[in-house]
Amino acid sequence: MKNVLRCLFALTLLFSLTSYQVRADALPPSQVAEQIRSSLFTAQMSFASDPSVTQMEFDRARSAYADEFQRAIVDADVKVDESIRAGFEQMQAAITNNSAADFALARAQTWTAILHGSYLVVEHAIQNNRPDLAQSWLPVREYRTATRFSRPNADATLALKNLAAQSINTEEALQFLHADLFDTYQARLNEALRDLESADQNDFPIRRAELAGLASGYFQILAPAYLKQRGVDSLDETQRIFSDLQSAAVSGAGIQPLLDSVRAALDGFRAAPLTPAEQSRRAGQLIRYLNLVPVEYERGVADGKVTKALEIQEAVTFHEAAQAAFDDLRDLLNQYDPAKTEQAAQLIEKMGEQLDSASTGGEVASADEITKGTEEAVSILQAAMPEEWQKGSAAGDFDVIASMLDQMENAVRQNDYALAESARLEAYAMMETGPEARLVVFAPQLKLTLEELFWNGQGEHKGLAYLIKENAPYSEIKATRAELDRSLTQAQKEIGKNTAPAAIAVNAGIIVFREGLEAVVILASLMSSLKSAEERKYRKPMWVGVGLALAATAFTWMLAHELLRSLARYGEKLEAVVSLVAIAILLLIMNWFFHNTYWTGWIANFHSQKRRLLSKETGLWVGLITLGFTSVYREGFEIVLFMQALVLEGGIVTVLLGVLASLAAVVLFGMIVFSLQKALPYMKILIVTGVLIGSVLLQMVGSTVHVFQVVGWLPIHVVQGMNVPYWMGTWFGVYPTWEGLAFQLASAIFVVGSYYLAEGLRHARLKNISNKSQVAHS
Amino acid sequence: MVRTQRFFIVSIVLMVLISACAPATSVPAAETVKSQADLGGIKTYLTGKIGELKSSSTQLKAASDTYYELAQASGFDYVALWTDHSSEVSKALLDAKSAWLAASPLYEQMEGIVAGTPSLAEYDVILDAGGSGEDDPENAVPFDITLPDGRVLPKPGNLFGVLETTLWGTNPDYVVSNMEADLDANGTVDFGEALPDANILKGAVDLFDQYVSDLDTAIQAWIPTESDAFTSLVVMVPTMNEYFESWKNSRFVAGDASTQSDFVAISRLADIQDILSSLQVVYVGVKPLIVTLNSDQATQIENDLGGLKDFVADVYKQEQDGKRFTAEEADLLGAEAQNRATAIAGQISQVAASLGIAIEE
Repeated sequence: MKNVLRCLFALTLLFSLTSYQVRADALPPSQVAEQIRSSLFTAQMSFASDPSVTQMEFDRARSAYADEFQRAIVDADVKVDESIRAGFEQMQAAITNNSAADFALARAQTWTAILHGSYLVVEHAIQNNRPDLAQSWLPVREYRTATRFSRPNADATLALKNLAAQSINTEEALQFLHADLFDTYQARLNEALRDLESADQNDFPIRRAELAGLASGYFQILAPAYLKQRGVDSLDETQRIFSDLQSAAVSGAGIQPLLDSVRAALDGFRAAPLTPAEQSRRAGQLIRYLNLVPVEYERGVADGKVTKALEIQEAVTFHEAAQAAFDDLRDLLNQYDPAKTEQAAQLIEKMGEQLDSASTGGEVASADEITKGTEEAVSILQAAMPEEWQKGSAAGDFDVIASMLDQMENAVRQNDYALAESARLEAYAMMETGPEARLVVFAPQLKLTLEELFWNGQGEHKGLAYLIKENAPYSEIKATRAELDRSLTQAQKEIGKNTAPAAIAVNAGIIVFREGLEAVVILASLMSSLKSAEERKYRKPMWVGVGLALAATAFTWMLAHELLRSLARYGEKLEAVVSLVAIAILLLIMNWFFHNTYWTGWIANFHSQKRRLLSKETGLWVGLITLGFTSVYREGFEIVLFMQALVLEGGIVTVLLGVLASLAAVVLFGMIVFSLQKALPYMKILIVTGVLIGSVLLQMVGSTVHVFQVVGWLPIHVVQGMNVPYWMGTWFGVYPTWEGLAFQLASAIFVVGSYYLAEGLRHARLKNISNKSQVAHS
Repeated sequence: MVRTQRFFIVSIVLMVLISACAPATSVPAAETVKSQADLGGIKTYLTGKIGELKSSSTQLKAASDTYYELAQASGFDYVALWTDHSSEVSKALLDAKSAWLAASPLYEQMEGIVAGTPSLAEYDVILDAGGSGEDDPENAVPFDITLPDGRVLPKPGNLFGVLETTLWGTNPDYVVSNMEADLDANGTVDFGEALPDANILKGAVDLFDQYVSDLDTAIQAWIPTESDAFTSLVVMVPTMNEYFESWKNSRFVAGDASTQSDFVAISRLADIQDILSSLQVVYVGVKPLIVTLNSDQATQIENDLGGLKDFVADVYKQEQDGKRFTAEEADLLGAEAQNRATAIAGQISQVAASLGIAIEE
């Protein structure tokens, strides 16, 4: 019996041990790591109150660091394993010596060494083409501390997923891994240093020791990047400072000088390598933010005094943003041109001092001085930056738009609605000179949404321009801003899908083709209608108008991009005015065209009244020139803005190819319309021309009413329940507002009414002539 | 005849050309894949809680109105008010406190969802999170309180805070100075016993009641999305540090040395548990979706979330049992909670990214 019991006990024990072993082996690395971390924390918390719990929890943590978990780290880097084991030894010694601070220091060192080990396991797994191993170990990591305003990124996770799916290669996966984890651990290092200072000020000895250990541990993970950027001597020196910091933190000696030394050693160090896209993004931010500084500053000073503190504050904010972007790029810029980098650094620093002085009641530099300094810094930076950085970056544009919208919100909070409006216009101008050119083609539905949210939309979230004009409460403006942010995020995503040169060329081509089509329909149909030798001379003023419009477009193109950006805030209003003129002229010309040329001309065939009909030549010529001009330049300004944005992103050759191809298509289309129509008899020409120009007129009226509503010159009353697809607005000017539809209907009635009126008159005249003829014959 | 044919050909060619220029309409793909997430439970939970909150708010308003009417009848002579009507005044104020004590945890049980959902988040600023225009202009509340006597309190801070400091007398500007009121008639004027300025109490309570109604309307109109659910988890789980920080500085840790005027009535540790409860409801809703990606991870996140709540509950229990934590212990505990929360939010972010669900900014 005893033997049976013994046997049963032995079997039970064996089963228990085996199943424990199976369980332990089955645990994923992240759970093992969490078991170690939480046990060590419990051990720390029980240190003073219950040493037996401390020992028990410590033992549990130490035994968890074994088997597969330890082996994977040994395989990756045996030295890291040694550090972890040394950490456990130090913790045991601290328990024996009853030193809570020593335990806290060793706990932090051990934990960060585990993080380091995990990072190396993942790196090796990627290098050895073992994405499954990498995926199981990646969760043994920390994340950037999320706040209400920032989120942990998932670049490494997605990179491993893509690596497993073979949609990226090993090198790309490693790049994402380094960028994500280095960025995370540098953020945690900075946090640890900040908390360490606070713990020191509050005289928390255990926290002080723990945080010094964490800071040193995080730095150890980043050490290879530091070595690469700063060299072996700097690394040795910085490691020595960290070592001293740990000793001082445990002993209770003053740590502030050491903290200062650490900060100095880390100044300008950026562990996470910036991807090429990130480099372009930062470069775009740097130049844009710098250019905004004098704009804001100039509005805030006059005669050596600060007149609008909030404008100066905005200038300071933009400078800080530029400084941050410069800090991120500084080491890279140094590799391209150290002398220019140093010069730019000094200029940016000097600008910071000047702004600081102005914002704190000190000496106020003149606006000219700030402008000059900015121009110099920008010029130096552009000379130092590689060409790839200077291509437009949509991501950078969106960052700057977000900053400007922040300024707008801030101004509303301060009840400064005028300033809020200015910031809104700046944000919109940035939108129009950058991403909008891409949205027009690749996500036109978003263009409409964004326009409504930026301007006077009357949907669920009223437009910002409307809200600001109404001095709406902050909550409403914030809600619209949130909606706008969502649309901007979506827009950024859509644009990101189409960045290839071919896509940019197509982008440019479609814009030019769409705008050119309208003009060509008007001009080709009118010109083809002027058939007789006497009428052909009226083609000339239209050509003159077209020539002037092309010259004006070329002149607009030659204006500097920054000047255009500053004018872009008036872009919509300019378009509204020019469109109105275009409609007025088109109506006048149509009136002349139908009522005098054709109707009368047709009758004139019978009665030779041609000389009478072409009176008032000068007014007609001016009208035709204006028609030619406005038809082409109606959206010329916006097209130039769009093309410049595309050139920045895709280069002049790419854009030119797209533009030339679409111009050729437009010309071809014009020729087809012209030749087909020319071959028709008078009456048919009349009807085709009438239908074509009438359609364009309806489109123009709809679009112009829309632009008027966008800028707030016409009210908006939405037709409830009417869902019009976005392309109906883009191509036919149909928007679901009562005003837009009413004006279009009125135009249609005008055109059709004119037709029937003229028809009535013609019949009356013919009848009259016929009657007179019959009387004469009889 | 030939001309008529040509005319039709021209017209047709033109129409074809023009229509060919129109961009292809992007017809959204039919939703063939039904979402695995069960978000209905989140809405049901929130609707239930806002109903209870509205009920508490109504009780608070009734008590506040009673107190205001008593003060008005006394010509706002608080000495006369207390002398002549101490029992009615005490009852009204104790009822108001009791209603506030019921309302506060009810809101905390919703806060994880309200604050983390972009379309509702503004109400969190108004009711529970916004600072005052003076202390924190960047994150100040968007309202002023207009009092019945015409005075205006510009951007005074969130309404729970204003009401707490008024009812418990921790903001001297909101209470009658140089007046002692032993509301519970136990013979001593204890901490938190004071006579509020009736105008301030009524102004703040009325606005509070109105915003609770507005929040009710907003919740009824809200249709939760996967993005809302993931956003609220990622945004709210990691806010542990803020709560532990205010706990560390509150009377519950710092005792009489605390200079913090709010969070005097209820320990922040209780608030944290309530917030985590609401986040657990959200997680239950999205868990089926996460299971489709990685069932182990779905379980791990659930356990971690439960573990974090248990961790806080354990600390709270120790506090309830009489343990007074030192500031350093509170700091250590806060750091641990934050570490756990950050790890949970990190995991959820990775899952959201893998599922292609946007976390709103």
